[in-house]
Amino acid sequence: MSNIQSIEFRRSHSGEIDSILRNLMSLQGVTAAAIVDSDGLVTHIHRDFEVNTDALGASVQIVFGAASKAARHVGHNLANIVICENTEGYVLLAPIEAGFMLALVTEREALLGRVRFELKETIPVLKKLFASFL
Amino acid sequence: MHWFESQLLTLHQLAEAYNFSQTQKGNDILNMSEQGRQKRAAFIEAVQALVNRVIDSSGVTACAAYHDGLILAQSGKTPDTDALGALIQESIRVAQKGEAILNLGAIQQIVIVGDLNKIAMITVGPITLCVLSPKQTNLALSLSQYNG
Repeated sequence: MSNIQSIEFRRSHSGEIDSILRNLMSLQGVTAAAIVDSDGLVTHIHRDFEVNTDALGASVQIVFGAASKAARHVGHNLANIVICENTEGYVLLAPIEAGFMLALVTEREALLGRVRFELKETIPVLKKLFASFL
Repeated sequence: MHWFESQLLTLHQLAEAYNFSQTQKGNDILNMSEQGRQKRAAFIEAVQALVNRVIDSSGVTACAAYHDGLILAQSGKTPDTDALGALIQESIRVAQKGEAILNLGAIQQIVIVGDLNKIAMITVGPITLCVLSPKQTNLALSLSQYNG
């Protein structure tokens, strides 16, 4: 089956991905929401501070790769969400499809349960979008 | 039905509406994505609004909502959000054991009363609502009508 899609189809899907990222950015304390491809390149990003997207993309893939290995080592199978708790906030990572990842950067005062709940509920939608997009 | 009960009923309905939207099948991913987001926002905003209003009730010192033991919404002075999250998860786990042994049905409420304070935990859809107050507060009475 051909993966070739019309430009309108791709544009509407890309628009929906942007809406999802905008929605995630509206959560209290979320400062960046990004989609990173398997090579560590940022394909979509919404942010309210200056961030080095190359560094963000590369670190997302490195951290998630390490967490996935750790999960396998302890017999936990796949890593679904990785949460980094830092001095100034959190970074949450979740795999989408075909190596694409969703990364959220938050401030310390973000409500972790709120952000994680939204992330967990958003991932299945993003998976469907990417599955039809790729 | 008193004020708090009616608020919980609304939350249950919103949670069910969201759950229903998640089970919808079809190829219109864009529309389903948008609808799911709207239903989820309606539920979470209602949770946040209730948490903000419960704190106006006499004797209530804090109110918070948790999902999987992690803080989702709060108002008032929650002593230690992480510790409270852990307490909720552990309490629900123990109560669920009782549910199986004693045929209680799905756990709706857990109340822990200490020498000084008490905490009521109420499950609503995927979240747990917590109301903290001094031991002597009659929560049923305090929450029977909105005092904001």
